[in-house]
Amino acid sequence: MSTDLSMNSSAADAASHSHKFLTIADAAAALRDGSITSVALTADIVEKATALNPALGAYVTITGDAALAQAAAADVAFAAGNDFGPLQGIPLAIKDIIAMKGAGTTANSRVLDPAWGAGTDAPVVARLRAAGSVFVGKSTTSEFALGMPDASKGFPVPHNPWDVERTPAGSSSGTGIAVAAGLALGGLGTDTGGSVRGPACVNGHTGLKVTFGRVPKSGVVPLAFSLDSIGPMARSAYDCALLLEVMAGYDASDPNAADVEVPKYSELLNGDIDGLKIGLPIPYFFDHDQLEPEVRDAVLSGVQQLVGMGATSKEMALPYAAEAKDANMLILGAEAYAYHRNNLVNRWEDYGNLTRPTLARGAFYTAADYAQASRFRSMWSAEVAKAFEHYDVLITPSAPSPAQLVKDMDPSQRLVQPSYTGHWNLTGLPAVAIPSGFTASGLPLSMQIIGKPFAEATVLKVADALQRVTNWHLLHPPVETLYATAA
Amino acid sequence: MHSNEEKLAVVLEMSGITPPAEDQEAILRAFSTGRELSKLIFSVAQARYEEPALIFSARV
Amino acid sequence: MSDYLTISDALDALRDNKITATELVQDAFAAADAVDSELGIYLARFDEQALAAAAEADRIYAAGDPAGALLGIPLGIKDIISTLEGETTAQSLVLDREWGAAIGDAVVTARLRAAGGVITGKLTTMEYATGVPDPTKPFPIPKNPWNTDYWTGGSSSGTGSGVASGAILGGLGTDTGGSIRIPAAFCGISGLKATFGRVPKSGCVPLGYSLDNIGPMARSARDCALMLNVLAGYDASDPCAAEQPVEDYVAGLTGDLSGLTIGLDRLALVYADRDPAIDPAIDAAVKALTALGAKVVDVTLPLWDELSAATRITSRSEAFAYHAPDLQSRWDDYFEATRQGVGAAVAFSGADYVQAQRVRRVGQKALAALFETVDLVITPTSSVAGWSLDELGSMTERFLAMHTGYFNAVGNPALVVPMGFNDIGLPLSLQVVGRPFDETTVLRAGDAFQRVSDFHLAVPPMMSSVAVA
Repeated sequence: MSTDLSMNSSAADAASHSHKFLTIADAAAALRDGSITSVALTADIVEKATALNPALGAYVTITGDAALAQAAAADVAFAAGNDFGPLQGIPLAIKDIIAMKGAGTTANSRVLDPAWGAGTDAPVVARLRAAGSVFVGKSTTSEFALGMPDASKGFPVPHNPWDVERTPAGSSSGTGIAVAAGLALGGLGTDTGGSVRGPACVNGHTGLKVTFGRVPKSGVVPLAFSLDSIGPMARSAYDCALLLEVMAGYDASDPNAADVEVPKYSELLNGDIDGLKIGLPIPYFFDHDQLEPEVRDAVLSGVQQLVGMGATSKEMALPYAAEAKDANMLILGAEAYAYHRNNLVNRWEDYGNLTRPTLARGAFYTAADYAQASRFRSMWSAEVAKAFEHYDVLITPSAPSPAQLVKDMDPSQRLVQPSYTGHWNLTGLPAVAIPSGFTASGLPLSMQIIGKPFAEATVLKVADALQRVTNWHLLHPPVETLYATAA
Repeated sequence: MHSNEEKLAVVLEMSGITPPAEDQEAILRAFSTGRELSKLIFSVAQARYEEPALIFSARV
Repeated sequence: MSDYLTISDALDALRDNKITATELVQDAFAAADAVDSELGIYLARFDEQALAAAAEADRIYAAGDPAGALLGIPLGIKDIISTLEGETTAQSLVLDREWGAAIGDAVVTARLRAAGGVITGKLTTMEYATGVPDPTKPFPIPKNPWNTDYWTGGSSSGTGSGVASGAILGGLGTDTGGSIRIPAAFCGISGLKATFGRVPKSGCVPLGYSLDNIGPMARSARDCALMLNVLAGYDASDPCAAEQPVEDYVAGLTGDLSGLTIGLDRLALVYADRDPAIDPAIDAAVKALTALGAKVVDVTLPLWDELSAATRITSRSEAFAYHAPDLQSRWDDYFEATRQGVGAAVAFSGADYVQAQRVRRVGQKALAALFETVDLVITPTSSVAGWSLDELGSMTERFLAMHTGYFNAVGNPALVVPMGFNDIGLPLSLQVVGRPFDETTVLRAGDAFQRVSDFHLAVPPMMSSVAVA
């Protein structure tokens, strides 16, 4: 168990930095009891983000001045007795594929028209802004939320703060890094096949892919329109609930947005999971030969803790799991190619060297492949819905392995390696990735909790219940050593 | 550049379709029209950021 | 043929005891007996069940409580929609007959039946609702009652010729790119493609699932409204069905068009070989609509070519996904036009398909903007009055001549009504398009026009020799 290692690094961390690793909930309490101001919190985070960015590549743009102005406004509001809720004064990272006033959107690409989204807030950003949040900046994304970094293109290359030789995963790399390293208390990611959950998994915190349509996705550069979602990333499930209750809800600007009532998620996280029925889909998700035993064992031990709190778990099977992963990749490839086709024809070289071949595979799929994948999607969604008649949640590993060494990664393997996240974009179901322990070498491990449509409250409640009795989500990487690197 | 005949041969093989000789000419004609139709829809610049007329629902 | 050409008149006569449902159904079968071998209307007839249903309708009329909106009316079902009585073939050697058997009545069939409609049988279609006839296959070749050298149009061919010849008073067609409106136009009757999602389409063999519609075909717009009252409304079995309130479409037929602005797009340039009779017929229709109180203004439908292309790409691609396994293994069992047309979808990439869906959304918005300035749009349904069966096979530009597919791309309701005849006596047709889910205004315009015209009541000359029972 690596708690000691992390605790050591935590202890080694200077006390003056400790508030960087606050949860949103703790910071919200501190802002209200006067033990901290938003300006102080924000100034510290902006300073550390600036100092660590060369080593970690968390941000494309740090909007320090605007952030401090927002923080000052939050403090003024607190002083005047105006409280717009738990996000007031909280520093957040906005993935740089989402439009935000005061900062351009690059999608980490030379291709995206710089005028795209300029001067506008995506609805989800506008909602966070209205709730009094502070935006530290635009966080690094894989180019167009796809592919892997190409250092030659001039954008920051993101690194995993637990081991900078390892991948922070994508595509919401920057938000994942920022939350883990205390360079924001939470933030926004987008998730088309696992892009919120992957970074949450390997950076050791919580990330929620919401039900398709739960959060309006207008103002986001599309990757695959029928799979894309915007989700919260933060240390804890409770923090994700605080973010989600502001982010969620219908907006007419997104034809996919669902007109479904938004509960007060945070108030539903009561730790009570007595009688909860957990399904463990064994084939593919737990028995794949490329699934690392350390990952599997940590998930199963987390499930045992939930069972100890009154849940029941049962092994079960979901048919066509490998096919579902393929269908997600196919739909993603075809939809992304439709968006990028004209630019791939005219500006191939401007795309990153690992983005363009990944996008180009979309040209190989016929329209019938796409339509067939869509039919499969309906069929598989119905299969999963049938399974959910017997279970409240399904639990799987978030990924088959912890963070890989960048030098060992082969992008062409993505199509053939197992993956446990795209399935829930295919079905549109909510899925939260939460820490489930550490490897012997000190890398974060993660489990995924999947729920019924619009049952974000359930998956967050289960995650929160586990986080009440574990502290993996609170542990943080040894950033002190990175200051040395940065210096 | 490959001719439409060559392209058609490849996509037919990819799709597992083996039409006999007497159908080839009609399919080639339709294929050529199809590629023109493709060009036509990609000429609609404002379609790029439009949400496609396909709404996926998480509720089965 | 019966004395009663329209559903509306037949219902009045039934209620007034001027005719019984049994007589009405017998008249319809007599008409079919006289012409079906030549016209190719039916694939299967359900005489016994239909006469039993008619007898039951007569019993209800006699009891004085005729509740069903279509009680005792002989109606035919395109053989791509399933019914309890017999197999569904999609007029194809390929379709697995177990598919329809497992379904029984499609939602629309059940609704017609529940309203007292008498299901007379299954009507011819183009194979799988696409393409043109293939004489080498063991199915009837649908011929136009107005001139049997000519095609009925497709794909709801038997419904078109069945209504025109009095073999049925109304029936169901399906429309993915014009398959209700084209045979209605060529056969000189009315037909409605309602708003996408207005009528549930479960129990219908899919062609292009994001474009497919089931709709009524009958002599008059009023008859279409009577049928739509029964057909419309949500059903959970169709994921595309809209949860949109149903209106009383008959009650909306006021005959008054005052205050309506109608946009006219003649589509004069989309097809070179335009029938010269079309524009004079449109001029006359415009004059009639104006006299009824409407203001007619010239408009240009936005993105005509692009949306027509989007419909073809979408329709072909969705059809290919359905047919791929059978095209791979049973190529020769398909009609020539089906396999060549659907098989050619190999030309389209997944991205083409997605882009087509983006273009559809652009088109919906552009058309909605046009509909802020007009209440309805009228166009000719087609630039031609039809093709002879001889020239069909070599026709490669059929799609350009038919002006229907555009409205499948955007989903708006489109009614076609007869507006005259060309110089060789083939019917001409006017298309009336409305805002999404505004079938009421579309039907009101069609009905008002039919109150001052009688093209929809014209009987093909060949029927004059068929005795009235």
